[in-house]
Amino acid sequence: MIVTVILIPFIAGILVPAIPFQKRWQKEVFLETAVVLNSILVWYLLLHHSDSTFLLAHFTGNLNISFRVDGMSMVFAGLVSALWPFATLYAFEYMTKEEHENVFFLFYTLTYGVTLGIALAANLLTMYFFYELLTLVTVPLVMHTLTREAVLASRKYLYYSLGGAAFAFLGLIMVIVYGSTTDFILGGVLDPAKTVGKTNVLLLIYVMAFMGFGIKAAVCPFNSWLPQAGVAPTPVTALLHAVAVVKSGAFAIIRLTYYSFGTDFLKGTWAQYAVMSVVMFTIVYGCSRAVKETHLKRRLAYSTISNLSYILFGAVIMTPLGLVGALTHLVFHAVMKISSFFCAGAVMHQTDRHYVHELNGLGYKMPRVFGIFTISALALMGVPGLAGFVSKWNLAGAAVESGNPLAWGGIACLLVSALLTAIYMLTIVVRAFFPGKDFDYSTISDIRDPNWKMLLPLFVFTVFIILFGVYSQPVVGFFMSVATGAV
Amino acid sequence: MYFILLPIFFPILAGLFLLIHYRTPLSGEKKNAGRKSLLLLTGCFLVITAVFVVIALFCEGEGFILFYLTKDLPIYFRIDNVGRLFSALAVIVIPCAGFFSFEYMKHEEREGRYYGFYLLVFGVLNALCFSGNLITFYLFFELLTMSSMPLVLHSGSKEAVMAGLKYLFYSLCGAYAALFGIYFLYRNCDSLTFTVDGALRASAITEHGTFLLAVAFIMLLGFGVKAGMFPMHAWLPTAHPVAPAPASAVLSALIVKAGVLAVIRVLGMFGRDFLKGTWVQTAWLCLTLITVFMGSLLAYREPVLKKRLAYSTVSQLSYILFGLAVMDETAFVGSFLHILAHGFIKAALFLCAGAIIYKTGKTRVEEMRGIGKEMPVTMWCFTIASLGLIGIPPTGGFLSKWYLALGSLNSGIPVFDVLGPVILLVSALLTAGYLLPLSIHGFFPGAAYDYGSLRKREPCKLMTVPISILTALSVLVGIFPHLIIAVIHMAAAGR
Amino acid sequence: MNFICNFPFFSILLSLFSGTICSVLPAKAAKIVNRVVIIVIGLMSAVLLLYLLSTGESFIYWMGHFPAPWGNEIRAGVLEAGMALFFCIIMYLSMAGGAHKLPGEVVESKHNLYYILVNLLLSSLLALVYTNDMFTAYVFVEINTISACGLIMIRQVGRTIEAAVRYMIMSLLGSGLLLFGLCIMYDLTGHLLMSNIKESVGLIMANGEYQIPLIVSVALMCIGLCIKSALFPFHAWLPDAYGYSTVSSAAILSSLVSKGYIFLLIKIIYRVIGFDIFNSTRIIDVLFVFGLMGMIFGSLSAIKENDIRRMIAFSSVAQIGYIYMGFGMGTQAGMVASIFHILSHAATKSLLFIAAIGLTDVSGGSRKFADLTGAAYRNKWAGAAFTVGSLSMVGIPLFSGFISKLLFAQAAVQVEGKMLASLIVLGISTVLNAVYFMKTVIRIYTSKADTPYTSITFRDRKAYTVTLVCFILLNIILGVSSQPVVDMIGQGLAMFA
Repeated sequence: MIVTVILIPFIAGILVPAIPFQKRWQKEVFLETAVVLNSILVWYLLLHHSDSTFLLAHFTGNLNISFRVDGMSMVFAGLVSALWPFATLYAFEYMTKEEHENVFFLFYTLTYGVTLGIALAANLLTMYFFYELLTLVTVPLVMHTLTREAVLASRKYLYYSLGGAAFAFLGLIMVIVYGSTTDFILGGVLDPAKTVGKTNVLLLIYVMAFMGFGIKAAVCPFNSWLPQAGVAPTPVTALLHAVAVVKSGAFAIIRLTYYSFGTDFLKGTWAQYAVMSVVMFTIVYGCSRAVKETHLKRRLAYSTISNLSYILFGAVIMTPLGLVGALTHLVFHAVMKISSFFCAGAVMHQTDRHYVHELNGLGYKMPRVFGIFTISALALMGVPGLAGFVSKWNLAGAAVESGNPLAWGGIACLLVSALLTAIYMLTIVVRAFFPGKDFDYSTISDIRDPNWKMLLPLFVFTVFIILFGVYSQPVVGFFMSVATGAV
Repeated sequence: MYFILLPIFFPILAGLFLLIHYRTPLSGEKKNAGRKSLLLLTGCFLVITAVFVVIALFCEGEGFILFYLTKDLPIYFRIDNVGRLFSALAVIVIPCAGFFSFEYMKHEEREGRYYGFYLLVFGVLNALCFSGNLITFYLFFELLTMSSMPLVLHSGSKEAVMAGLKYLFYSLCGAYAALFGIYFLYRNCDSLTFTVDGALRASAITEHGTFLLAVAFIMLLGFGVKAGMFPMHAWLPTAHPVAPAPASAVLSALIVKAGVLAVIRVLGMFGRDFLKGTWVQTAWLCLTLITVFMGSLLAYREPVLKKRLAYSTVSQLSYILFGLAVMDETAFVGSFLHILAHGFIKAALFLCAGAIIYKTGKTRVEEMRGIGKEMPVTMWCFTIASLGLIGIPPTGGFLSKWYLALGSLNSGIPVFDVLGPVILLVSALLTAGYLLPLSIHGFFPGAAYDYGSLRKREPCKLMTVPISILTALSVLVGIFPHLIIAVIHMAAAGR
Repeated sequence: MNFICNFPFFSILLSLFSGTICSVLPAKAAKIVNRVVIIVIGLMSAVLLLYLLSTGESFIYWMGHFPAPWGNEIRAGVLEAGMALFFCIIMYLSMAGGAHKLPGEVVESKHNLYYILVNLLLSSLLALVYTNDMFTAYVFVEINTISACGLIMIRQVGRTIEAAVRYMIMSLLGSGLLLFGLCIMYDLTGHLLMSNIKESVGLIMANGEYQIPLIVSVALMCIGLCIKSALFPFHAWLPDAYGYSTVSSAAILSSLVSKGYIFLLIKIIYRVIGFDIFNSTRIIDVLFVFGLMGMIFGSLSAIKENDIRRMIAFSSVAQIGYIYMGFGMGTQAGMVASIFHILSHAATKSLLFIAAIGLTDVSGGSRKFADLTGAAYRNKWAGAAFTVGSLSMVGIPLFSGFISKLLFAQAAVQVEGKMLASLIVLGISTVLNAVYFMKTVIRIYTSKADTPYTSITFRDRKAYTVTLVCFILLNIILGVSSQPVVDMIGQGLAMFA
């Protein structure tokens, strides 16, 4: 059953170029059906999960490829499978203007399966396997346009990701050698009998592995691939570079920290301070770069960099509450950022405008898109009543509670970043709605909102942003039970 | 008790309705008809809201939780006397300035947007007054910034947009600093519900006392941004003058007071006993006095009328903050009286300035020679309000300053108990220096004035009546203060 | 003695004789003979392997039933038989993959010479694998050198001759050193048979006499073999030799010849000196350091390269560094990892060479990256194969490279002092591998709108494509079900002792 949900996207993806579709809508219906079916299956699986581990194959030694549904996988798999159908719908509309559709949808759908693989992996090796696979199946998506820019971006993406995996691999080895098992167990699997006297080495390797997985989560100084990868079509940037791929990095770090090395082992060590400093720096750095950036999508990408580090910040607090904060932001940021990216994509699709200074006055011509953009901007800033506030609240609350002075400094970073977020998001909103006195409206007279395929996902996401903002208790409660191991 | 939701959400929904319904600019033949219906609607909304607020002022009860943001984080509304006083101020100033705008905004574009946000601000201000805990307050504090920013950049000129953004970023900066404190308060208090005698757990004070002091200072600074406290005051003289005059009136009279309200609430949360005599109090006193003096000085040097008034606001707000920082019952009364008095006075002054600009287009002080001859009613109101601000008896300004000085002298804080009143006096002198010349030259233009070209340019009733009402109220506060002082004492006691 | 025990001897002899036969056959027949011989030997090795696995013991085969010290011995254990089988598979696939290029690369009249050399090479490799006699080993090292030189030179282009000369000089230097070492060893122990030497070495170590000459002799042998297998500072001969020879030669040379020497070194370590004694010398540290340096510098050179085949060749330097790093760890686990890497690298590197030729073919024969742009679209199978090879080199799970990386890292963790160094270098080297291999992969998948070159499909090159598929399968098999192989290696090493 678990394998099915990973396989369906694979099969569906491969069938896209294989079946000679007569009309475009047939292909769309086929893909959408497959994706929706799969998402339903995933949710069914998550809701009716059993605690058993499904063993797919022995690898070597005591290593095996196996899957299991636990709390963390429920969060990530649920998130991914909830977003994917909408993103696919959006992609249909967006891709009408691009070439090589088949190849695109092939890899796009493959990525779905691979991401689910990461989410549902039962041990570190399986996750590592799908993690590497994820890099590979997403490279063609970044390369999609085949322009020189795209090739350079994908090259960089590959170097960074594979390089990162190489160091994450060291963490895997440590867990294999010093752990009692590679399975994910909340609280860590390191065997105290084996680690005696090796603490510092293990910590060093942890930091390396953190940075290794962190590359996907765009931790500074390894973040430059992400804005560059923005050359990919918007559905990719929105779904993969704001959710699936980058969150896989964060997810992997959470797995590594909470489920493999264990927080008891790491908490209060120099390793924790080291990674926390890096993360805090990234939070501020990403935002500052976003303020400087004038290209709309790249600006959002920098924003993603900063927000990913929010998640990591929660993770490296290394308390259950920290994990709750991280998970909250993992999910909520996904909704907020995908919404703002889709708005950016809608603007690009409707108007071919890519830079912030070209957006003057568009708010009046595309009121729905920019209205939604405004809401997601406010949410990202952390205005109470929207999703972003709740996640920030949880993160900061965890930081305060941890009693770790550096984490207190981290709160300051969060707030500085919130301010910078306001600057880079609201300047866009102000431009769109207040173009200035002598603005010539005739230059934008033939621009209008996109059709329902683009708007439907946007509306749905907005509803969730508000819903999570005012009524987050069940979700956060669930995260709490994940973090305490009750699920 | 659920009734208090009406004065909050009715104007908000009404504002949103206006924003959506009038999103495209009116043009051509439909302009007049459209404008008429817009004004009619806005007028109705303002009046209805005002009625709601007045009814709400007499509500009694324990308050209620609307919903939970997260676990232990309720959105909680409640009416107490602090809120009542603020909302009483708002319910007078906002409709007055609103009706004033009907005339003032005649030639501006996109009036629908203006009135939409105007109503939003009204609702959000009410919500701020009726918030029962810190997080609810913070929510509406942010919303206040968001909804008032469009008022600042309404004209759409480059300057206005930049000013709007400056306002936004300063405010957010302050709000986030405050949020930083809220995070810590949340962990160290049993609940974030407002109190007046400190909500910190005793164990927290013993364990993290020093750190919590720093947190308190950060929060005061953060909310102080909105109240234009030095060193984060720079947004105020930029943002207020570029807004349309009625909006400036609301900004200066009410929105900056939201910062003051916040400070009052924060003081209550930490408790005066916790802060009294600490470095936080000393530093805060320093900052407020610096602001008082600096604001007046800058106002004195400023040639543009609206800007001069904005600097004056900076200075006057710190009077209030000074009163709070002294942490003395009498000074607290003074602060509150000054909130009301300054609210009415500054609104009247800005509206006068607006009337002058509207009728003559003159913005600089030296151009206004003889203006009293042209617009006598307006200038009379201006003069009376000026006297109030300087603190001449029997106006409200006199009374409030009296209480402030008295409280300061009673407080027994070394150095500041005397230094404070001295600076207040100096500042009052400066106030006279920057406001009175306008009246003097306005009414006595001197021999060189060309009486031949004199024309009566008195604005219509829609403008003069609100100004007169506000001016009258500013005086009345000083003449019949007993009821207010009684309420203030109740507020200070936490009821 | 079971009949199967004759197989090692048969296989050496068969390849030796087939070489001779080839000299009188026409080219086509020589080709068939060559293929058949490889298959037969492969089958024999497979049978032998099964037999050994079932008995669980190694055996020693006396040539002509003369016992030592007069006779010459052959020894066969699981590891030897497995190696022989594996060498045959790679050899066959490499020959099959490069066959279509042969007419273009070698003049018609030299074709049977080519097959003679290949057969000779195979026989020498088998002998290196099986022999239990140091002198025999030396003899076949020389045969190996000569045939390898021939394989490089046979293309008769300017650069190949230069490369061959270089190779010759370096190789002879290596075998000279080996010979020196051997002489000293003989002088010390009075034996040439491995098992006998080992006994005497044990005695010498126990007595404490002649320590230094012993170590010198070991060091000389090691350096000799290192030179021949192109360990880092001695790799100068390699890029030209691999880069300009015929396709099959390059594949065979890179994946088999150097591995033959390394295997000999393993035998020397285990069977001649003794694993523990070897580990107690400082030689392993030297090997370790050079291995690490090779991993880094080999990759760095590969990054700078603008010629796809030379790039792959430089990558070999790095991979050989991995193997020596495993030796340098001085543990059983390290050795297992190294041996597994011999297999995995052999499978991958020959795949890369063969795939690269498919790509250059559709780019007008140019090996420059600029011309290779979009080559994978013109020859889909070669592109896919090259990608698989690259991924394996980078160490993506599912492919063999990942397993060797895994084994190396696991082994490294168990070695106290060398753990961090090896882990970090492992990481860096992976990054570097990713840089140059992924650069190439992206390059070949970047389509150029107006390309002057024609495409090649499956139908045009059936044999070639099938070979590629076999290689890919081999790679994946090694990557997915590595456990039996690793077990076998462990078993074989146990038999060595």
